[in-house]
Amino acid sequence: MNDVVKMGLVLLIITLIASCVLAVIYQKTAPIIAKNKQLEEEKARKSVLPEADHFQEITEQKIIGQDTVHTILYYKGLDKHNRLVGYTFRCEKYGYSSNVQTMVGIDTLFNIIAIKVISQQETPGLGANCATSEFAEKFQHKTPENIMVDKDGGDIESITGATITTRAVTNSIKEKFIDIKERLIEK
Amino acid sequence: MKAFGELTKGIIKENPIFVMALGLCPTLAVSTSVNNAIGMGAAATFVLIGSNIVISLIKNFIPSKVRIPAYIVIIASFVTVVDMVMEAYAASLHKSLGLFIPLIVVNCIILGRAEAFASKNSVGSSILDGIGMGIGFSLALIVIATIREIIGTGKFYGMQILPCSYQPAICAILPPGAFFTIGILMALFNKWVAKKS
Repeated sequence: MNDVVKMGLVLLIITLIASCVLAVIYQKTAPIIAKNKQLEEEKARKSVLPEADHFQEITEQKIIGQDTVHTILYYKGLDKHNRLVGYTFRCEKYGYSSNVQTMVGIDTLFNIIAIKVISQQETPGLGANCATSEFAEKFQHKTPENIMVDKDGGDIESITGATITTRAVTNSIKEKFIDIKERLIEK
Repeated sequence: MKAFGELTKGIIKENPIFVMALGLCPTLAVSTSVNNAIGMGAAATFVLIGSNIVISLIKNFIPSKVRIPAYIVIIASFVTVVDMVMEAYAASLHKSLGLFIPLIVVNCIILGRAEAFASKNSVGSSILDGIGMGIGFSLALIVIATIREIIGTGKFYGMQILPCSYQPAICAILPPGAFFTIGILMALFNKWVAKKS
């Protein structure tokens, strides 16, 4: 009996110390991590819409039950004189082994300026090549109508051995792009 | 002389991958490129040294029946701390290593060294053991990754080294390639060690 109590106590003390240490460190690092993520997103937005000086969030309010949920639809890119230079949006789709997130910048005439894959964990050497600049360049100047993988009849050349990843990136951009274009034209 | 032995035994005589066949799961997963191998090696070495220190410090307080859960709590906390601190203060490093850090918890080299070495030896030799095992693990990873990256993509550390006309054997960077490479290397390594003794 004595033994059991002693073992339990030792484990209790170890886990107690461990959780205290983790709690303190989490509290210290969480705000910094959140800030880093924000900075990184801002940087990604700038890289796909270099002309913009600052960005304005466009959100949509949805009422689900009793809560109002704000979802970010896209960002307006504005230059130094507050003139509209384009829009950026983020889209994602499940590829071969991970969620592939892409940041897209478009101009006011709805042509793609640049894209950037901001997060993916696809197969190294195959799907992971979607993060290279050679792949991103294939999307330049495209409009939502002509974004399609070559195997589906479009003109985005798929990455060797990674059609599924290419399709995920391409289709996620296409869907969100059409959605945003419709919203903007309605206005 | 004994200290030097503690340090170097992890590199050849008790190499965690080729001799003890420990930690094969992360080895298979991250040895696709030299860049990944270095990242995983460095992160695992750091956690290994840290957990070895803590466990050899408190080894006398832990009843032997509950030592495994105690070690796991210590290792997991260590990994989580490293993960959070790195994400906050070295964001770019965390971005390239981020994926491997949680994997370290399940790396049985760390639990293996805690059980086999740190719980029976002094802090000083536990540190040396951690460093040596870490280096041995990293070197083995780098060797495997070099072979797989060159055959599978024609690159070394992200740089093209084979002529562009080389058709990469993609199989080498997929899971089967990992098994083939590790198996062949292990056989060669054991043959070499057997010949030497």
